[in-house]
Amino acid sequence: MKLSWKLFFITTPIFILLLTLFGTWMIQENFQNSMDREKEQCMVENQMFQNSYELTQNTLTSAQREEIPLQKLVEKFYRRQNAQDGNARILSGDGTVLYRDNGLELTHHIMEQLDDTHNAGCEIVSDGKNRYVVVMCLSTSGEYIETAKNVTGVFEDRMRMYSRYQTGAFLMAVFAGGIILLILFAVMRNMQKLSRATQQFARGQYDTGVQIRSRDEIGRLAADFNWMANAMKMQMEQLRSEVSRQEEFTAAFAHELKTPLTSIIGYADTIRQMELSKQETDMCADYIYRQGKRLQALSYKLLEMTLAGQQEIAFREIRAADFLEDIKKTVSVPLEESGLTLKVRVQDGVLYGDRELLSSVFINLIDNARKATETGGTIRVSGRRVPGGYCISVEDEGRGISPEELPKIAEPFYMVDKSRARKEGGAGLGLALCRKIIEMHQGSWQFESEPGKGLRVTVLLGLPETTGRRRIRRPHQDRAEPGMPKKRRSRKIH
Amino acid sequence: MIKILIVEDEEPIANLIRMNLVKAGYQCETASDGETAADLIQEGRYDLILLDIMLPKLSGYEVLEYAKTVDIPVIFLTAMGDTQQKVKGLKLGAEDYIAKPFEIAELLARVETVLRRYKKTERNLKFLNIEIDTDSRTVTQDGQTAELTTKEYELLLLFLRNKNRALYRETIYESVWGGEYTGTGRTVDLHVQRLKKKLRLEEHIRTIYKVGYRLEC
Repeated sequence: MKLSWKLFFITTPIFILLLTLFGTWMIQENFQNSMDREKEQCMVENQMFQNSYELTQNTLTSAQREEIPLQKLVEKFYRRQNAQDGNARILSGDGTVLYRDNGLELTHHIMEQLDDTHNAGCEIVSDGKNRYVVVMCLSTSGEYIETAKNVTGVFEDRMRMYSRYQTGAFLMAVFAGGIILLILFAVMRNMQKLSRATQQFARGQYDTGVQIRSRDEIGRLAADFNWMANAMKMQMEQLRSEVSRQEEFTAAFAHELKTPLTSIIGYADTIRQMELSKQETDMCADYIYRQGKRLQALSYKLLEMTLAGQQEIAFREIRAADFLEDIKKTVSVPLEESGLTLKVRVQDGVLYGDRELLSSVFINLIDNARKATETGGTIRVSGRRVPGGYCISVEDEGRGISPEELPKIAEPFYMVDKSRARKEGGAGLGLALCRKIIEMHQGSWQFESEPGKGLRVTVLLGLPETTGRRRIRRPHQDRAEPGMPKKRRSRKIH
Repeated sequence: MIKILIVEDEEPIANLIRMNLVKAGYQCETASDGETAADLIQEGRYDLILLDIMLPKLSGYEVLEYAKTVDIPVIFLTAMGDTQQKVKGLKLGAEDYIAKPFEIAELLARVETVLRRYKKTERNLKFLNIEIDTDSRTVTQDGQTAELTTKEYELLLLFLRNKNRALYRETIYESVWGGEYTGTGRTVDLHVQRLKKKLRLEEHIRTIYKVGYRLEC
């Protein structure tokens, strides 16, 4: 059974029960009040009757008492009434009826209850058709005076009220039930929306969102759902891009591996199958040697990348000046050989990270700059403090890179100038390695270039507290609108 | 003479192919990127194009489509073992594909096959006093029909297509019989001996110690 129906079938009977109890109590209370009033009135009437009777009796002498029949006497102060309305009787001590105003005879047991202390009693009796309040008192002269009043009307009123109330209560119950159902359906519709969204999500439609505007728990649940869906979607996207990156890497790697292998196998095959001149054999051997070297470079770089990826980074404080000085020493020999000048400008500051890995980043960047720059050129390395970290840039006066190629240069095995890169012994993995290390340091980098004028690579390394893991904030923890969690851009170039 | 265009951006591979094709008696030109290749195709008449897929400027697929318009057969070279790429290339109209790394003998055989399919090679092969009609698969020596088995015929073709080239037993076995050469058994030697005897080629088919055979002329 649906939850809305369950709630409906629980709340509606409770509502009806309470309505009935309350109504019954009200009507009963009202009836009791009327009844009490009637009794009161009857008592008063009976009292008056008794008083009048005793007064009349007392004013008469005993002779007069004998003479005047009781009927006449009573008629002096008591008007004969309609038998329907009630009656009045006077009974002697032994139960003989001394006076009666009409034929109404009601059976009751008040007489037995009366004694000296209790000289009046009251009872409600029925003659089968009507109900009466009967009051009886014991007069001072020893007679019982009985008066009765028809109270059927009060009972009828109660019945009428009951039936009216029933109709009213029924209408109220229907009305209230309808409203409850409407509310429940409105709530449940949101729940159904959520349920549908969950199903869609499970089926793999990760951009599913729920539009529920209410601010209640369900609205909140929906916001939570959206938040979860977004987080999942982001993770899925990350995984997907990771997988496609992996696939691209594998494809590129296969290509990079097969190309030198083709040459090595082909030339070796040629040498062993053909009678070649000395010159030709030398050429083949040279190709085999070079392509073998290329494979070697590839395997070293790959090993380096794998190791970098496995390493856990120990964040240490590194003084920027020392760091760049060390790098300068390392690269000075190849730079001199290429006839290039290196200018280093350092602002005092500290870096946080793994010294060796970071060194490898800048050595790679400077080496790239060296390869791109003509003899006599200058490479500028400058370090400066920036809000939230430290920035190191490597700038060359080389060929530069066209805007179309900029986004691709950090992809594994991407080479802007293949034949030249080959001659320099590049495997196309340098920047990919740098990117990996910078990512591991949660840093970012930026390339600025104008073809023909040079390239500037700026690496920003954050402080330890800003290098915490990316966290997706919950929608109501920070009162933000439930929506796409902001993805922190950890790098400028992918 | 048959002209072959080699489109390959890796200079060592381009050179390797050219070297071997020239030795096999073809005329070769090379292009190192897609645009140069397209220009060359437009200018010169080529009988066959060997085309790398991953090329700078224009991709191999684009060059392939261009080559189809001038009706030059194309064999593409691919480093990807990816079936999808092969299927794509073949669907676009390539005649065949060669996966890198490849054996030289395989390269030559495929080139030969495609050229034959396009009737660019001589219908009749000639060697000394032996004539071979590749259509009817008949061999005549001094005007007399020589009775050769299928395997012997194929062996002869292999030798003729690889003149002056040492053919390893494994290469011979793989191209004539197909399948993996186990290194045991004397099937290859036996057939070569029979062929030598039948066509009196003892002088020309030389046994190379520990390697295989070579047809010399």
